[in-house]
Amino acid sequence: ETPHCLVHTMEVEESSTHPTTALREFGCEQNLLSRPDGSASFVQGDTSVLAGVYGPAEVKVSKEIYDRATMEVLIQPKVGLPAILSLSAGHTRFSLFYLCPVSLLLSRRYKASLCVSVCLCVQGPQLLACSLNAACMALMDAGLPMRCLFCGVTCAIDPEGHIHTDPTAAQERESRAVMTFAIDSAERRVMMSSTKGSFSVSELQQCIAVSQRASGKIFQFYRDSVSRRYSKML
Amino acid sequence: MAAGYNHSVEPLLKYRIRVKKENCRPDGRELGEFRTTTLNIGSVSTADGSALVKIGNTTIICGIKAELTAPPVDAPNKGYIVPNVDLPPLCSSRFRPGPPGEQAQAASQFIADVIESSQVIRREDICIEKGKLCWVLYCDIMCLDYDGNILDACIIALIAALKNVQLPEVNINTETELAEVNMKQKKHLNITKHPVGSSFAVFDDTIIIVDPTAEEEELSTGMITVVTDENEKLCAVHKPGGTALSGEKLQDCISRAITRNREVSKLINEVMQSAKLK
Amino acid sequence: MPVDTKRVRGPDESQSPLLFVLPSTGKPECPQEGREDGRQRSQADVRPVFARCGLISQAKGSAYIEAGNTKLICSVYGPRETDRKDEVDMKSGRLVCDFRFAPFSCPKRGSWIQGSEEKALSLGLLESLLPAACLHKYPRSQIEVNVVALEHDGSVLAHAVTCASLALADAGIEMYDLVLGCALRQDGPSFLIDPTFAEESGAQSAGSGENQGRVTVALLPSLHQVSGLQSDGEMAEDTLVGAVKACIEGCQRLYPVIQQALARAVRRKAPPTAV
Repeated sequence: ETPHCLVHTMEVEESSTHPTTALREFGCEQNLLSRPDGSASFVQGDTSVLAGVYGPAEVKVSKEIYDRATMEVLIQPKVGLPAILSLSAGHTRFSLFYLCPVSLLLSRRYKASLCVSVCLCVQGPQLLACSLNAACMALMDAGLPMRCLFCGVTCAIDPEGHIHTDPTAAQERESRAVMTFAIDSAERRVMMSSTKGSFSVSELQQCIAVSQRASGKIFQFYRDSVSRRYSKML
Repeated sequence: MAAGYNHSVEPLLKYRIRVKKENCRPDGRELGEFRTTTLNIGSVSTADGSALVKIGNTTIICGIKAELTAPPVDAPNKGYIVPNVDLPPLCSSRFRPGPPGEQAQAASQFIADVIESSQVIRREDICIEKGKLCWVLYCDIMCLDYDGNILDACIIALIAALKNVQLPEVNINTETELAEVNMKQKKHLNITKHPVGSSFAVFDDTIIIVDPTAEEEELSTGMITVVTDENEKLCAVHKPGGTALSGEKLQDCISRAITRNREVSKLINEVMQSAKLK
Repeated sequence: MPVDTKRVRGPDESQSPLLFVLPSTGKPECPQEGREDGRQRSQADVRPVFARCGLISQAKGSAYIEAGNTKLICSVYGPRETDRKDEVDMKSGRLVCDFRFAPFSCPKRGSWIQGSEEKALSLGLLESLLPAACLHKYPRSQIEVNVVALEHDGSVLAHAVTCASLALADAGIEMYDLVLGCALRQDGPSFLIDPTFAEESGAQSAGSGENQGRVTVALLPSLHQVSGLQSDGEMAEDTLVGAVKACIEGCQRLYPVIQQALARAVRRKAPPTAV
């Protein structure tokens, strides 16, 4: 049986109006690995991430939580042991660990274990956002019941105060502040936030608004890829 | 296993009902009320600067040791600031001995980000001679009693300890090219910004409380930490997952964080003043 | 080289500024008569001790002790299920001791990773406490003792023993007796009791190279038994016996302060008397 693969890319036009919600080309492939119960790769700009989801499976007695499923997140570099990863990769892991349970209905599966494994193939500026997207698509692919979807958007504020979504490495270096938000699909609220640099309250609110708008495009992309994938089967 | 439910579901429900009904938390605080915060500086004489902070039961000690080293190759006119947070098994039974756990790593990274984002000290200020010699400030933060909200306490301890640091004068001998340290001439650091953090616990987007205890952290469905400086600029909005928040709720948190900044700045200044008088 | 990715890393190498201090031109002090802090040589002149129980809210029992500038804090957790299932002892509990120096506690910055000195001190602490704890009352469980030195100004092991036994008592762990520690530095014919960091590591006084050493004694004060004895250096037999006797005297001087601290903690914990 051949896995149902799908390669789908989407380019969002660079609009000159300001602030832009332009996102660079991103691509995704679901169900590309045979061992995990769900998998997805997500490529965004110069960053590429592969995510696999294992579970629900039997849980070790020592880790068992009786009223909900246990959750584990692993982050791995493309080569070498996880020990070579920097603290910022640890941050990604930490974020996913706290993010996934909210969208997943963990309380539906007592005494089960779920494992999200993320492999960082090419590390670029949107590592966190890209990992979030890949993880979400892998969770979808695994067919786990979810309360909502989530996606990650990175914004950078340049010294003139302009906001760039999905910044390039050069834009990120020159920027005054960089923020990554995870937005939920149900009410477009902020599920996770991680910031660097200093900024004003209004800039934060603007960035959130821009990310919320940009998230619409990513959710549409999720929808398109899934519907295209299943259009062949139905 | 039925008895086990007493430990997880029931306290959360009870907590929510009580908080909703009485607008009051188990320790008698209102939703927006911080615990009593106390600060003690310079209590460790082996450190170049030190501070002990208590927020309720939570106790954090920060000791700063300054050492000499060569500046980084990519930034020859800058010094180093190396913050690390340790959550030893001493402070709570939830931590095991050994290398730092997830939470300690996340806290170290968070503190490093806050230092970088807020520009507490200009790293150029702690360079002694370009490309040759600079200071490295090891800011070691240790939790002695873990009762929730360590990030806020860590930032206060760090800032107070930095304000307490006195660095000796260093000259480079032109003949021998060696450093000469004069312990009698000491100078305070130039602290340019005073970031202060405020942590909030979220319960299903309906209740937001400030300064959660360890128990409240455990029961909450999300945490958020907002760091502001004295110019009402944000240095960090740190929310590692958890329940989603709307922009308005976030705005409420930021407003509370700004008033908290004034309260804590006042406390630090008072303690610094009284330390000078001694 | 393995790198530490779980901590924020600094430069690979750095030196303490103390190494670059210009040699002072002042005359070297002559310490033969008294001691720098005004105490007398060759007398059981221990530093004043401040002790408190129950400072750590999360722990079953805790203690803080301050002797001169040496500051130690200790917490006790348990008895609880053993971590190592393969080593469960059905008849007796396990005592686990962990001693750590805070990185800023010594004149030279220490590492976060537990060094061999800390491991040796953990073991010394464990061995001194074992004879006092009634571990047979806690089968299949473990009791954890964590000590952190916040500031090291000499005699850490001795004070760690005192601090840990106070914390154990505060945790309500059954014990035969408290354990009190006292250290001594033998310097030729005279000795320095409860030495400071400088006295402990300082060079011997001019003249004789004999009878140089350090002794730490752990004493069960009401049973009058020695539970731990550590000695290094070279000392004549009668000098060592004298040193141990002096340490025992030092411990006895400590006893009332520790008793008071414990009584205070018990009084606070006791339910209010019925009116």
